[in-house]
Amino acid sequence: MTQSNRIAAGGRVDRSQVLEFTFNGQRYQGFKGDTLASALLANGVNIVNRSFKYSRARGIVAAGSEEPNAVVQLGARDDTQVPNVRATQQGLYSGLVARSTNGWPNVQRDVMSWVGRLGGGFMPPGFYYKTFMAPASMWMTYEKYIRMGAGLGRAPTESDPDIYDHMHHHCDVMVIGAGPAGLAAALSAARAGARVILCDEQEEMGGSLLDSRETLDGVSAVRWVEQALSELAGMETVTLLPRTTANGYHDHNFVTLHERRTEHLADTAREAGFPGESRARLHRVRAAQVVLASGTHERPLVYANNDLPGNMLAGAISTYIRRYAVVPGQSLVLSTSNDHAYRAALDWKEAGRKVVAIVDARANPDGDLVRQARDSGIRVITGSAVIEARGNQRVTGARISAIDLERFVVIGKVEELECDTIASSGGYSPVIHLSSHTGTRPVWNEELLGFVPGKVKGMHAAGGVAGHYALSETLTDGARAGRQAALESGFNNAPDIVLPATRARRDAPACALYQVPHEKSALRAPKQFVDLQNDVTAAGIEVATREGFESIEHVKRYTALGFGTDQGKLGNINGMAIAARCLDRSIPEVGTTVFRPNYTPVTFGAIVGRHCGELFDPERYTALHQWHIENGAEFEDVGQWKRPWYFPRTVNGKKETMHEAVNRECLAVREGVGILDASTLGKIDIQGPDAREFLGRVYTNKWAQLAPGRVRYGLMCKDDGMLMDDGTTSCLGDNHFLMTTTTGGAAGVLEWLELWHQTEWPELQVYFNSVTDHWATMTVTGPDARKLLSELTDLDLDRENFKFMDWRDATVAEVPARIFRISFTGELAFEINVQANYAMHVWKKLFEHGEKYNLTPYGTETMHVLRAEKGLIIVGQDTDGSVTPEDLGMQWAIGYDKPFPWIGKRALSRPDTRRKDRKQFVGLKPKDPSVVLEEGAQIVFDGKQSIPMDMKGHVTSSYYSASLKHGFALAVVMGGHERMGQTVYIPMTDGTMHEAEIVSPVFIDPKGERQHV
Amino acid sequence: MSNVSVSNVREFNTVPDGNPKVESPLAWSYQQHPAPRASGQAGIVLREKALLGHLVLRGGAIVLDEAVRATLGMSLPAKPNALEHDDSGERSIQWLSPDEWLVIVPGGEEFKLERALRQVLGDAHYSIVNASGGQTVLTLSGDNAREVLMKSTSYDVHPNAFPVGKGVTTVFAKATVVLRRPSETHWELVVRRSFADYCYRWLLDASAEYGIDTQ
Repeated sequence: MTQSNRIAAGGRVDRSQVLEFTFNGQRYQGFKGDTLASALLANGVNIVNRSFKYSRARGIVAAGSEEPNAVVQLGARDDTQVPNVRATQQGLYSGLVARSTNGWPNVQRDVMSWVGRLGGGFMPPGFYYKTFMAPASMWMTYEKYIRMGAGLGRAPTESDPDIYDHMHHHCDVMVIGAGPAGLAAALSAARAGARVILCDEQEEMGGSLLDSRETLDGVSAVRWVEQALSELAGMETVTLLPRTTANGYHDHNFVTLHERRTEHLADTAREAGFPGESRARLHRVRAAQVVLASGTHERPLVYANNDLPGNMLAGAISTYIRRYAVVPGQSLVLSTSNDHAYRAALDWKEAGRKVVAIVDARANPDGDLVRQARDSGIRVITGSAVIEARGNQRVTGARISAIDLERFVVIGKVEELECDTIASSGGYSPVIHLSSHTGTRPVWNEELLGFVPGKVKGMHAAGGVAGHYALSETLTDGARAGRQAALESGFNNAPDIVLPATRARRDAPACALYQVPHEKSALRAPKQFVDLQNDVTAAGIEVATREGFESIEHVKRYTALGFGTDQGKLGNINGMAIAARCLDRSIPEVGTTVFRPNYTPVTFGAIVGRHCGELFDPERYTALHQWHIENGAEFEDVGQWKRPWYFPRTVNGKKETMHEAVNRECLAVREGVGILDASTLGKIDIQGPDAREFLGRVYTNKWAQLAPGRVRYGLMCKDDGMLMDDGTTSCLGDNHFLMTTTTGGAAGVLEWLELWHQTEWPELQVYFNSVTDHWATMTVTGPDARKLLSELTDLDLDRENFKFMDWRDATVAEVPARIFRISFTGELAFEINVQANYAMHVWKKLFEHGEKYNLTPYGTETMHVLRAEKGLIIVGQDTDGSVTPEDLGMQWAIGYDKPFPWIGKRALSRPDTRRKDRKQFVGLKPKDPSVVLEEGAQIVFDGKQSIPMDMKGHVTSSYYSASLKHGFALAVVMGGHERMGQTVYIPMTDGTMHEAEIVSPVFIDPKGERQHV
Repeated sequence: MSNVSVSNVREFNTVPDGNPKVESPLAWSYQQHPAPRASGQAGIVLREKALLGHLVLRGGAIVLDEAVRATLGMSLPAKPNALEHDDSGERSIQWLSPDEWLVIVPGGEEFKLERALRQVLGDAHYSIVNASGGQTVLTLSGDNAREVLMKSTSYDVHPNAFPVGKGVTTVFAKATVVLRRPSETHWELVVRRSFADYCYRWLLDASAEYGIDTQ
C-alpha cells in the first residue's frame, strides 16, 4: 500500500529513510520522524481499534497522549509485548509490529459488535450488571465470557529480554513540557544559574511550536525551538529529557518521569544497538520548584456518531499536516466554537485538499483567522454545528444545522454535506492532571471555559495550562514562571530574557459548546460519545443523572467516565458539562473528578527497575559463605542473611534428604563434635559507666552482679510485657558489655536501645554500636569440643578454670579470639569470635584438626532440633508477640525486686498477664513415637468434642529427635504448666487425630550435666 | 593482647602477630564475578581499599577533638557530614552523627590508635569500637561515576550538593552505605561486610552500560 495521504514536501519527517512496519498483520511503509499514528494515517488506515463496550470501529482522533482509540499492543515477539501503547506516542522504527488491542477475529469484522447492537443499540450504564443479573449464581459464568470481549491489551507471557532502571535527580527547577512556555521557562531559569531538568513526552521537543503557523522573530517557530534547545543543551546545569513523560506529581515536588530510551528505535534495546542498556528509565526527581507547562488538550464536540473513523480533533489535523506531512482525508468539514481551530481548515486547504465548509457555532465570528478563511474562499456557516456524522466504517457526510445554544435545540433545516473527515473543536482544556495528583482542586475559569490548576506549594503553572493561549502570552508567562522558580530556589540575579517577537493575532471570543443538540433527544439520537475509550455517551450521563447520581464522582463510577488509561483527557469536561446541563447547575457546582497518577501507563519494568532477579533484595553473606557453598550447603533465608540450612552428604551415590542429613548432624553433636556458623547473630557493643544500669532496665533479669569474664542469658520485653528478643550478654569490663541478639532482631534491638536511651534516659552515660559484621562466630559443640579446641588454642579449657557461662580472650589458630562457653545445644560448647577477615583461616584450621573427631558442620535445621530437645526457645517461633517470660516458665529470669522498673514490668502485673489460663510453654510427647506433629497445629482437650472444638493451644516447634528416637514438640497450651502428664489431642485437617502427653519442654539432660562437663 | 583500660573497657587487638591468611569481604565476590573487561575506555573504575583500620568514636565533640589532635594530629570535623584527611591522605575522620565519627587508618594502626586515644581520654565518657572486620571501602572513579551513583542512591550527588570533603550515611540500592567524596575524581563507599557482595554486584550491573574496570 502506498502512502496515499502523504504530502510531497514539508513536515518534519525524513523521506530518505523509509521504514517498514506491520499493523494487524499488514505491511506498510512510513518515514523516519513518523509516529505509528501518523504512518497509519499516511497509509489511509481508517480503523485502528474496536471500542471497549460497543465494539464500534474507531480511528485515530488525536496526535498526542490524549489519543483515546489508537491504543495498540506493541511487539514483534511474545517476550517483547507491550500493551497500552498510544500509537500517537510511539515513534516509528523499521520492523515495528503492532496490533489492535480489541477486536476479534479482527478490527474490520468484529464478532463482539453484535453485542453493541443488541437491544436497539443502547447499552445503558451498568448494562452488563442489569442484563446478566439473574440468577445471581450465574454471574461468574457470564463474566468469564464478557471479559473475553473486553480489556485493553494483554500481558506478555514470557519474561522480558530488556532491562529497566531508575535514576535519581535533584534540581532547582523541574520544567514539565517543552512547548513555548516550557522552553521559555527553562531558558530563563537556566540563565539565572539554576539546575534545570526539562522533560517532554513527545518524540521531539517544541510542543505546539512544531506545527505552528506563526513566526518568532520573523523566522519559523521551529527555528526558534532549535535555537532554544541548542542553548539549553550547551549548559552544564541543564538536563534535557525528550520522550519522557512526567507521570506522577507527588508530595513535596517529587516527580516521577518515565523515559522511553530505546523503544522508539527497535523491539529491544539490543536490536536498537544498545545491548545491556535499559529500554525505559524511571527518573525520580526531587525538585525545589516545578514549572508546570503541560499545555492544553483540545476538547472535541459531542455530536451524534462522533466516534466514526474520520472524526478528529481540529488541532490534530494541523499537527498531522504540518509536522508529519500527512493529510488524513480528502474533504473536510470543520465544526468549531473558537477561532484557533480555523488553522485546521487553512492547513488542509494549503495541503491541496478540499475544505467543504467551516461550521461555526458563533453567530458573528470575526477574528483574523476567520477573515483569512473567508478570504481564501472557504464557506463559513455561522450559528451552526455538525449535529451528526454519517457513514459506516468511515465518515461519508456531515449533517449540519443551525442551533440555539441557550435552549439547546436544533433550529431550522438540516443540511447534509459530503465529506470524509470532520474536525471538531469545542475549545481547550488546560492539562491539569499533574497538579491534581498533589491533591489540589482545580479552579473553574469562566472566561477560559476550563479548569486551571489549583495552588501547589513550589509549583508554577505557565502558559496554556495556566490559561494563556496566545503565543506571545504563553512565552511571556513561561519566562516569568522560570524566573520566579529560579528566584524561589535562591537564584536572584536572573538576567532579563528577551523574548522573540510574535505577530499579534486577534481572536474573537469562543462560545461555550460541549454537547451539540440533535433533532432527537440524546436517548434516541445516534450515540454521542463523551469518553471514547470507555464508551461513555451523553445519553449514558443523562441516564445516570436521572437515576440519581448527582455528584460527578458518582457519575464517573457509574458510567466509567474518565476511567482507565485515558484518565478523562478528552471527555471529562464535556461529561461534566452534560451532567451540569441535566442537573441544571453550573460546571463548577458539579465539581471535577480527581485525576490520579499515572498520567499515561507506565510499564511494570520501569517501576521495578533493577530491583529484580538476583538484585531483588540484598543477600547478606557471612565470612564463611564460600566454604558453605563449596561444601554443598543448602541455604535458608533468615532475614536477608543466607544461612546454611543443612549440609547434605552423598552416601553411595545418593544425596541425603534433609531428614537424613539433620539426623546425622544431630547425632554428631550429641556424640562427637559439630560446628555451626553463628556469625549472623546480632552483636552490640555497649560502653559507658551506666551500661550495667541500662541493661538492668531493658532486660527482665538482674545484671548488677555480673562480673567481668561472665556471661548471662537475658530476656527483653516490649513495654506490653511480651517477649521481643533474647540472647546472652557478656561483661567485658565493668563499663563494657557485649550483647547478642537473635539474627532477625539485630537491627530492631539496636534501634530499641537507642530509642529508650535518647527519649527516656538520656542521662545514662552509655553508647551502643553494632559489631555484628566485625566478628565471625563459630560454635564448636559436642562431647569432643574441648579436645578439638585444645589443639588450637593457648587457653586453659579446664572445666574449673573456664566454666560454663565464662568467656576468655585467647588465640585460636594464631588468631586473636574471644571464646564464650555458652551452649544452645545442651552440649559442651565454645563460641569462638574472631575478626571476620580471619574467620576462614580459623574455620579451615578447625576442620584440619577436626577430621579425626569427625567434626561435622551443621546448619540451622539441626540447630533448631538440638535447642528444642533442650527446651530452649526461639523468639518468633515459640513466641509470637503475645507470650510473657512467665508464660515460658522463665520466672527465674525475672527480677521483680530490681530497684528500677525495667521495660515490661508494669504490664506483667496486669490482670490479663496474671491469668492462670494463659497459653503456657510446654513440651509434647506424641503417643505414637513415629508421629511428628505439624507446627501450627491446634490443640484441644476433648478429642470427642464436635466441631467447632475449643482450641486450647498450638504447636510451636516440632521435630523428629534422632537422639530420643521419637517425635517431640514444643507448644503453648492454656494453663499448660499445671497440666503436666495430661493428654491433649491434635486434630488434623484430613480428619486424623493425634494424641500427645504434656511434658516438660526439656527433653534431654534436664539437669544440665552435659553442658557443664 | 588485651587489657582493661582506665575506663573499665576491655581493649582487644584483633590483628594476629603472625601471618594467617586474611580475606577481604569481597574475596568470594571476586571469584564469583570475575572482573569484567571494559571494551575500550571504561567509564567506571572500581577498586577496593581492603583491610583498613576502622574505628567508630562516640562521645562529646570537644573531648574527642582534643584526643584526635593529640594522637592523629588532626582536628575532629565538627560540621555535619564533614570528611577530613591528614596530609598523607591515608587517615580520615568523618562526621557520622552529632556524637559519632568514623576514623579510617591504614590496616594494623587501629589498635595502637585506640589505645592511645583511651590514654588521652582517661575517664571521660566516650566509646571506641573497632569495626575493621565489619566493613570495607570501595572507591569509584571515572567519567560516569556520578551517573552510577544517581542510579544507586537517592542522595543528591551533584557537585553543588556534594562537594569534596563531604560524607553521608545513606541508602544505596537496598543497602545502607557511607558515601563520601575524598577528592574531585574519587568517591568512596564504606560498605558493611555482609552487604559487600550485594553492593558489588549492584555496582557491576549499574556500571555495565559505561564499561567498568575493576583491576
